[in-house]
This record gives sequence, C-alpha cells and structure tokens, in this order.
Amino acid sequence: MGSTNKMRGPNCWTARVGSFGLQLIWHFIHFIISTCYFVLGLADAVDSYVISSGLLKKYNDLNLGKLRYLAIGVDSDEARQTSKVIKLLQWLSDIGMKHVCLYDEEGVLKKSKDAILEKLSHVRLFEETDEKLPLDKKNMNLELASPSDGKEAVAKAANLLFTKHLELKSATEDQGENVFTEANMSEALRALGCSGPEPDLLLVYGPARCHLGFPPWRLRYTEIVHMGPLKSMKHGSLMKAIYKFTLVHQNYGK
Amino acid sequence: MPRHVAVIMDGNARWARRSAGHEAGVKSLRELTKLCSEWGIGVLTVFAFSSDNWVRPKAEVELLMGLFERVIQMELENFMREGVQVCMIGDSLNLPKSLQKLFADAEEMTKNNSRLQLIAAVSYSGKHGIVQACRTIACKVKDSHLELEDFGERLIERELETSCSEFPCPDLLIRTSGELRLSNFMLWQLAYTELFFVRALWPDFGKAEFIEALLSYQQRQRRYGARVS
Repeated sequence: MGSTNKMRGPNCWTARVGSFGLQLIWHFIHFIISTCYFVLGLADAVDSYVISSGLLKKYNDLNLGKLRYLAIGVDSDEARQTSKVIKLLQWLSDIGMKHVCLYDEEGVLKKSKDAILEKLSHVRLFEETDEKLPLDKKNMNLELASPSDGKEAVAKAANLLFTKHLELKSATEDQGENVFTEANMSEALRALGCSGPEPDLLLVYGPARCHLGFPPWRLRYTEIVHMGPLKSMKHGSLMKAIYKFTLVHQNYGK
Repeated sequence: MPRHVAVIMDGNARWARRSAGHEAGVKSLRELTKLCSEWGIGVLTVFAFSSDNWVRPKAEVELLMGLFERVIQMELENFMREGVQVCMIGDSLNLPKSLQKLFADAEEMTKNNSRLQLIAAVSYSGKHGIVQACRTIACKVKDSHLELEDFGERLIERELETSCSEFPCPDLLIRTSGELRLSNFMLWQLAYTELFFVRALWPDFGKAEFIEALLSYQQRQRRYGARVS
C-alpha cells in the first residue's frame, strides 16, 4: 500500500508538470499567431494608405460593371457608431456604387435610418426610390435589412405557401411538391416585400468572421469578405476588396 | 475545439485534370476524417457534390459517382473500426440507384458509431434543403402528425436534413482553393459559423492547413448575436 502511494506521487507530479508544459506551449503558439496577425495588420494599414493615396493606378478607376449589388454586414454593437456607417456609405458613393444593402443582426441600422439619410442627401431608401429618377454617379439606392428580412421572412413565406397547400389539400392529393418549390418560395418572399437581389459581394465589418445571419435566401453565390472591426475601417482596404472582387470568375458549379 | 467542422472541398479539377485531382481529393478527405476523429471533433460535414454540379460534362459526373461508390465500399470497414457514423444529406433521388443503396447501407451499418459523425452532402442545395424542410412540415401537418398554427424558424431548423446531427450548425467552415463564397451550401445553418477561406486546393489541404484553420478559429472572438457582457 505504501509503495503504491509512493508510485502515485511521482506519477501525479509528472502529469501536472506535463499538463502545465502543454498549456505553456499552447499559449506560446497563440502568442506567435497573435504577433503574426499584428504584423499583418500593420502591413495592411500601410497597404491601405498607399491605395488611398492614389499611387497605385489600378485602384483609381474601378470597373464596377460586375458589382451591381453590394451588401455591408455590420456587427450590431459597431452599427451603433452611426458616424462610421455614414462615412462608409460616403466612401461607397464616391467610388460610384449605386445599390447598397446595409445589414446588422439586431436591426440597429434600420432604427438609425433617419440619422443616416439626414447626412447623405444623395442616398435614397430602396422602397422610396422613384424608378424614373436617373441614377447618376452621386445617387445611391440604399436597402436596410435585418433578420426580419432573413430567416423570419422565410418562415412567413413558408406560412403563405402552407396556406396555399391547405387549399390544394382538399382538391388534390398534392404532397406539397408543386407548392413548396424554390420558385414559389422566392415569389412568396417577393409578396412579403423581402426579396431583394442576391448581393454580388458582402463585406462584413465586425470582430467575428461570419456573415451575421444575412438573409440566407440571398447568399447563394455571394462573395464574402471579412473587413475587420468597423472602428478600424480603412478606405484603402475597401478599395482593395472591391478591386479583388472585380477579378473574380465564378463557374456557378460548372 | 469546434464541435462541428464543415468543408467545401474545392479545387480538385484545378489540381489535376481527369480523375487524378478527385482521387487526390479523396486522400485529403481521408486524412481530415482521421484528424477530426483523433482531435475530438464530433461532426464533419463535407460538400462532395452540389445540385449545381449536375450540369458538368456527363463523363465527369459519372466518374464522380463511380468514385463515391468506390470510396464508400473501400472505407466502410475503416468507418466501423474507427467509430465513424456516415450520414448523407442532399437530393438522393438524382443519384444512381447503386449509390443510393450504398449510402443507405452505410448509414444503417454505422448508425451506432459515435466517435465521429461524417455527413456527406451529395446532390445538395441549401435552398432546396430549406424548401424540403417546409414541405416535410406541411406533410406532417396534413397527415395529422403535427399540430400547427404557424411555421416558425425553430420548426424549419428542426426539419432541415442536418438535424440528423446533435450539432446541426457548423462552428467552422473551411473552403479551399481561394474562393470566398458559400455556393449554396448550408445557407440556413451557417449564420454564425466562422468562415475560413484558404488558397490551397483541396488535394493540397493537409494537417498543417487544418491546424492553421483551427488556430484561426480559436483566435477569433465569437458571438452568436448576443452581446458580450
């Protein structure tokens, strides 16, 4: 019994030292990774400055032909920085973007609608746009989106289709194949006023590299780029992301 | 560690023409499955074939269907030994009958395995998955299996094919070959998934690249839409 306790002692001590050692290694690896990201961040800042200065000609005249619809996803906490959002929209307007969708997962941007539109006189809300009004370089259509336009809207659209299905139920033996189709879902979303176009590009501002629940029905082939926190947004990084998109070629599964 | 990792295995055809690229891709998948199993990741979902891929040349599609059959047959013994549970999501009706049967048999044989759940998305479309979930709910109500007043998000989520898993929403999505999009993959489930886009083509994606993806995942601040207090 005594010898067993004596054996347990060194084994326990070895296990503790081993565990501590592994934790140290793990923290060291993460320290190295954090340092790498810091250095990359510095390089990105320099790059952004050079692009903004106009020294690199390829960024001066962006070909926006492929970028018909741009979406911006903003972390809701950061979306409260209305001045930053306005500045971002101003940059997009200066670049020549004509159709922009702003999204956050708590509807903060929708609540800030008046503050945003007050500062940007050449921006029109999507539903208020008079189609006869010509969109010159300074005018921009702005859509404000939130989860009510995403998963909630899909659920409401499903309810519409379900009502139609029940009507058919008594008339035919339809099992739903003719009612629940992608085309009918799109049509139901349109009837609910939640059927904006699929963005060509979604730029995400926030700490997490995810799309923040952007309406799933509109994300099939959207390019998604994480831009980092909104508070650190840079004009050069925006130009670079849009420029890179203009070089992309999509096969659409072929 | 993430509980559920999803992968869009892109770049086989760019890596090598004809079958060589896809064969090399199978090796990468084998290695990733092994790593997930060893490192305690519970669920691995792989996007093997999109519903949009049916428009590819007939020869390539037949080659891929044949490859899927060979892989399942070759790996089944491995799956049983390693405790891997196989599940298939997607529109199986478009698949050759022989492949449908192989998948069904593999799912049945491995259903009690619990070390790793390997979900293969074949002939899969995110949009179709959502519509299919709604159709299933409607049929259940029609057959009086379900009392329903309203469709809700949670109900739709419960009927998506990924509800075969304990963790239906991936924590981490990896897409290889430098493309930055979801390509109609798990559109509903990926709302708060960390997105890791890597330049390497799928046959070149190995242990080092997977470690980089996991380290990147652990570095990021993750929030599921709730504020950090």
